[in-house]
Amino acid sequence: MTLVLAFSIAVMFGAGAYLLLKHDLIRVVAGMVLISNAANLFIMSAGLSKGSAAIYPLPEDGSVSDPLVQAMTLTAIVISFGVSALLLSLVYRVYQTHRSVDIEQLAVAEEVETRQREEAVAEAEEEVPVAEEEEMALAERGANPVPVSVSESEDR
Amino acid sequence: MLTDHWNATLVLLVTALAAAPLTALAGFWRRTLATPVAIVTTAAAFAAALWGWAEGGPTLDAPWAPAWNLRLTFELDGLAALYSLLATGIGLAVVIYASRYIPLHLAHSERDQGDIVRFYGFLLLFMGAMVGLVMAQDLFLIFLFWDLTAISSYFLIGYDSEREDARASALMAFLITGISAVCFLIGALLLYSEYGTFALPDLMARTESSRLVTTAVALISAAALAKSAQAPLHFWLPRAMAAPTPVSAYLHSAAMVAAGVFLLGRVHPLLEKSDVVMNALVVIGFASMATGGCLALTRKVLKQLLAYSTISQYGYVVVMLGIGGADGAAAASFYVIAHALMKCALFLTAGAVTEATGQKALTGLGGLWRRMPLLAVGSGAAAAGLAALPLTAGFFKDELFFKAADHEGNPIRLLAVAGAALTFAYSWRFWGGIFAGPLQTEPKPLSIRLTAPVAVLGALVLLGGVWPHPFARLAEDAATVTAGTPVHIEVAYHLDSRVENVMAIAAIAVGLVLIFSRPLWQPALVAISTTTVRFGPERLYWAVLLGLNRLSDRMHRIEIHDLRGRVATILLPAGLLVGAGVAVTPGGGTFRIGSLSNGDLPEVLMLTVAALAAITAALARDHLSLALVLSGVGFSLAVVYALLGSPDVALVAVLIETIFALLFVGMLALLPREGDEAIAVITRDREQRLQADNRGRDAVLSAIAGGLAFIVAWGILSKPAPLESVITSHIRLAPVAHGKDIVTVILADFRGLDTMGEITVIGIAFLGIATYLRRWRTR
Repeated sequence: MTLVLAFSIAVMFGAGAYLLLKHDLIRVVAGMVLISNAANLFIMSAGLSKGSAAIYPLPEDGSVSDPLVQAMTLTAIVISFGVSALLLSLVYRVYQTHRSVDIEQLAVAEEVETRQREEAVAEAEEEVPVAEEEEMALAERGANPVPVSVSESEDR
Repeated sequence: MLTDHWNATLVLLVTALAAAPLTALAGFWRRTLATPVAIVTTAAAFAAALWGWAEGGPTLDAPWAPAWNLRLTFELDGLAALYSLLATGIGLAVVIYASRYIPLHLAHSERDQGDIVRFYGFLLLFMGAMVGLVMAQDLFLIFLFWDLTAISSYFLIGYDSEREDARASALMAFLITGISAVCFLIGALLLYSEYGTFALPDLMARTESSRLVTTAVALISAAALAKSAQAPLHFWLPRAMAAPTPVSAYLHSAAMVAAGVFLLGRVHPLLEKSDVVMNALVVIGFASMATGGCLALTRKVLKQLLAYSTISQYGYVVVMLGIGGADGAAAASFYVIAHALMKCALFLTAGAVTEATGQKALTGLGGLWRRMPLLAVGSGAAAAGLAALPLTAGFFKDELFFKAADHEGNPIRLLAVAGAALTFAYSWRFWGGIFAGPLQTEPKPLSIRLTAPVAVLGALVLLGGVWPHPFARLAEDAATVTAGTPVHIEVAYHLDSRVENVMAIAAIAVGLVLIFSRPLWQPALVAISTTTVRFGPERLYWAVLLGLNRLSDRMHRIEIHDLRGRVATILLPAGLLVGAGVAVTPGGGTFRIGSLSNGDLPEVLMLTVAALAAITAALARDHLSLALVLSGVGFSLAVVYALLGSPDVALVAVLIETIFALLFVGMLALLPREGDEAIAVITRDREQRLQADNRGRDAVLSAIAGGLAFIVAWGILSKPAPLESVITSHIRLAPVAHGKDIVTVILADFRGLDTMGEITVIGIAFLGIATYLRRWRTR
């Protein structure tokens, strides 16, 4: 029995890992789901005792299945559901933004964007040192039909 | 009788903290309710503060996290009374003013009028944070409220979020004050590590002069000085003028910037244990006075001028706190009150004038006193107060300042007079520039709600000039806390040649000279100001910010260069680590096949189904069959759980699998189907890549992963069960916990905290899902 359990866990884990390496984000999520299934089964089969359900009244011979691993698996199932649902909605969002769920295409799109942003930052850097004066000059220009520079002295 | 059940501290804390949520709720329900609710809640908080000052608020002490010595300790002492009166009183003036100003402001920028709810919400949150901050008697609690003020100021400064400069200014203010707040936390933790408490009264009683205390209070002071916009971290304040005018008025007079000097006042008994820090305060204060005062004389944009003036004014306060003693504390407290009234009035004047004429700078203004007499008189009183003319509260602020400076020798005396002269000069520049001289722009008539707050504040400034005793009592109570000893403040006019009077006359004389000799020094001063802006600390800020930005871009680029490679870089080391772990684990060789009886046949069958389904999922052609096979895995596992004697898990698994299958298929319905343009492109691409793709490599990698999982799982499952375990007691205790199902008792009782964590995780995950699925603007 131990061997069978270990083998099923391994198969699920391996299939999950295979899906995780795919291009398709939906398959990546499916891989995560498989891996968490494997983990859940692993926790369950790590129970110390096997027997009937751990609900009072207990059976005469006292052999109940380990309630602690059950509680942990329950928690794990719910949490992995939450995470998978979050991942799925993330994939949907990615599709909405990029019109693609293919990792390679996303990488290209992201690299293009990064390059654009770096260029924008490089441009912004040249402007920075005079930002405040510009701002003030702008404020004054808005106030006055004739542009007045900050350095101009004027008595009031 | 009332005080038996209600203590003033609690009432003030609750009313101030409730103002923001109440207003926001009312505003979201009915937009028109926002303004009345904001005014009423602020007025209630102000009333509570007044009552609390009269009544005296006792200490409120409740355990918070006893294991870490954290307590919720609040007390409405003199210092707290002063600052909470300012926060709520000035808050009330600002809210009334904003109820007219903000709708006009929103109309100018063609924004939705409902945005005013957001304004009130953050302004009142700010007020609540200030009130909490000033009453907190625990460094950690102070840090919490301190950061709350930083957060609300971020949203207020960036209120015009469609403007880029507003966003950049908000970020700058947040970074400067937020990073310095970390200094504060480090300082507090240093003290905690040495004395084991965050409670201020304990710390004050127990600290001795030492290097550690010096370091700690220096870090705390750094945070306070950054918040008060003292040189060299002053540059964020003029930038913060991107905020709507009521926000500027509030930030400058009663909240953000005042919080810095408040903190110095609060921890002053600790500061006094380090001469270095006290001297540094005097130096920084004078540097800020000079920087702010000189730059204020070069600025033409009204709000810029006032911003630099604030830097200089709080420079005074820092100098006085650095001088310390009863005189210094008294002068600082009185100064803060007087300055708050005046600066708020002047800011509101600037806003009203800009609203009426459309002019933001002095260049387009002048001669408005005939057109707006009420505004002119109100702000005239405030400006006269700032310039420390007799018959205003401002006169006494300078008297006390000179009195404190008098003991410190001639250099300090001279600097004090010079600072006061600068103040005199820029006060005239502001008021004279707007109201005196020939008329430049014809103003539109203004709502009474824009002028009345200025008039009331101006009246208070004048009242303080003829009947200063209420202000003096308030300052006295605050100074007693700051100095740590009882302080007595005596304010009156003395018609003799005492040194304070001489210094005041000298300051006014020098100020007049400065005003009339303006053409002589103006070009030089402008040149200096341009240089400081160009090469000053602000440039360093931008350089650091851009450098960090570029670093993060570079990291990002490395990350995205090969996304699949990144997945592999996580999996591979993880696999290697597991493999190494298996290899070095002693006794890793004990693998047992385990017994297999006829009764186990259903389980084996279902496990086989699950494993086969998993393999099918890995090879699935399209998404729909992937989803179906995946839920096949889940359902067969649920059957396995049921067979293993765990009905609870099986039920939950069935439930979850059902929801997840529906969710998965539902999401597939949202994604494009076959025949869609987008999917055609992807499919074609994938066809091409699949051939080039190293499917074999993936298969080998996943086989290795599965193999390792197999070894680990088998090894662990083969371990014999220990004889004693926690399960025995769980089973025994379940009836005591009033439960029959042991699993549910474990979840709800024995390990209830785990379950709470689980609920939190699910809550956060659903928040994330809701955010992702919301129809937001997509790029």
